[in-house]
Amino acid sequence: MTMRERYLTFKEKMSELWFVIKRNAAAKLGLGILITIIGIAVFAPWIAPYNPNVKSGAIFLPPSHKHLLGTDDVGHDIFSQLIYGTRISLMIGVLAASTAIIIGTLIGLSSGYFGGAVDEALMRLTDVWLSIPMMLFAIFMVAVLSRTATRMLYSVIIAIALTSWPGTARLVRSAVLSIKEYPYIESARAVGASSWRIMINHILPNVVPIIIIEVITRTGLAMLTEASLSFLGLGDPTAISWGMIIHYAMIRNAIVNGFWWWFLPPGIMISITVLGVLLLGLGLEEYFNPRLREG
Amino acid sequence: MKRVLARRLVTSIITFFVTISIVFIFAHLSGDPLAELEDDPRVTPDVIAAMKAAFGLNKPLYMQYLDFIWSVLHGNLGYSLQYLRPVEDIIKERFPYTLALLVPSITLSNYLAYKAGVETGWRRGSKFDLSFMTVSMFMRSVPYFWLAIIFLYVFSVKLGWTPIFGAITPGISFANTWAWLKDYLWHYILPFTVLVFRETLAMLLYVRNTLIEVLREDYITTAKAKGLDEAYVKYRYAARNALLPMITILGMRYAFLIDGAVLTETVFAYPGMGRTVFEAIVNRDFWLLQGAVVLLSASVIIVNFIIDIIYLYLDPRVRYR
Repeated sequence: MTMRERYLTFKEKMSELWFVIKRNAAAKLGLGILITIIGIAVFAPWIAPYNPNVKSGAIFLPPSHKHLLGTDDVGHDIFSQLIYGTRISLMIGVLAASTAIIIGTLIGLSSGYFGGAVDEALMRLTDVWLSIPMMLFAIFMVAVLSRTATRMLYSVIIAIALTSWPGTARLVRSAVLSIKEYPYIESARAVGASSWRIMINHILPNVVPIIIIEVITRTGLAMLTEASLSFLGLGDPTAISWGMIIHYAMIRNAIVNGFWWWFLPPGIMISITVLGVLLLGLGLEEYFNPRLREG
Repeated sequence: MKRVLARRLVTSIITFFVTISIVFIFAHLSGDPLAELEDDPRVTPDVIAAMKAAFGLNKPLYMQYLDFIWSVLHGNLGYSLQYLRPVEDIIKERFPYTLALLVPSITLSNYLAYKAGVETGWRRGSKFDLSFMTVSMFMRSVPYFWLAIIFLYVFSVKLGWTPIFGAITPGISFANTWAWLKDYLWHYILPFTVLVFRETLAMLLYVRNTLIEVLREDYITTAKAKGLDEAYVKYRYAARNALLPMITILGMRYAFLIDGAVLTETVFAYPGMGRTVFEAIVNRDFWLLQGAVVLLSASVIIVNFIIDIIYLYLDPRVRYR
């Protein structure tokens, strides 16, 4: 981040951002996908023809005009489940990713800023954390947490957050290590600013670009993890996400019976959403890192 | 050399202890491991009290922690409430199935990714490269289990080429080992293909980017300037140096592959560790789940240690530092 950007107003920054996205076909596609998905989530009650949690027809119906994607084993409309599932999947993805990034940023900031023994201890912990099978631990955590948690939704969010912070911590740490060397940090220390103040007011703002890209990319990855956990039966039965729809399809033998309308659409929705998020992430990386723009 | 090796060994041991401590902490965060039984009206309080005494659940927490580490180190992983058998016996039966999936698929996918990654990186920006990158990008967005479901739906349900579930056709007695092997491979091929397909595409991107980095090095320019044959530069100078970073992330890839195996085995009802994890979740068989997590994490640590040793031999810079 150059010094010049500190003097740009918010509006100017946004127009520069838009300029970069506009020229990048992939980022434009990603943004388009994301806006559509968010639109579906917001307007779910108007798009979905039925209440997804109420019996609206006979059981195991194939697709028809009345039920676009048929019904499930208890007569719930699968199309409506899919539309409402957008809310759940998106919400869990965003919340889990944000929590993971808060943890990762705090650890990365302290590690990079304080250095020494703090750095050593935190980075060792990060290394250990990175070398264990993440999803397996997320599975274990949800299974354990959901025995006491009031809603499984929170267990899922906490488990994803607790297993996905190390990547962010490392990224933030290496950014802090280079920012720390700038003269203005030394000046701040010279006028007697506290460590906390320097970290929050002087270092954190310069790490923001990295954090924004991380939030976006991690949301996609968190949605994939959530889908996997739900698929394995660790989702919240009161909040049907896309992964949960596939879980129910599998345990009700939809796959071996060839009920493609039950397990194909949720997978397509997950894939498209995650693709959109990743494409947008790539585009933003280009915005924040102008060196990539040539290539 | 010996000092580096000793340090790696110590790190591995520490990692193992941290891992099982995390398992212990989380297991006890939820309180009582027998909570499910206590809710069951068929189980009397006497039985619960007897079980608590038998499993040492009435001891203080630090004693339970020491007990836990002691039994893990002795290969004692608890008792499956679903199968009414020791967890380690169940794992002994199932782990070979998973290992037979993991080792060949990580080997083949690394080989394929290496070959394809070198070609795409060498021809960076070509249509060939672009199509591989697009597929790779898209596959990153597709959930693992859903890919497995598509394979199962297309090849087993629609085309009927491969069986729908299991590792062996149930209820058959085989005339000889060949007949058994044929049946085994017939069940094996689809989960194996899913893992190889997905892992190859994930690794491909990494090999390609490493190769592009290597191509920027001065010695590549020198080799080209010397008038060396293009194929010679590609394989002897560039590809060789892209190989090393591949080995570095092999341990991480193995951990990812375990996550993939859990999902793939669940879809194909393949009786390995992954399916065991799924069954333990569905049946709330806490000790079985915990045992599977401990064992699979231990296998990751062992694999990482082996890779570290291999790395020491391959990269002299690490050896002499």
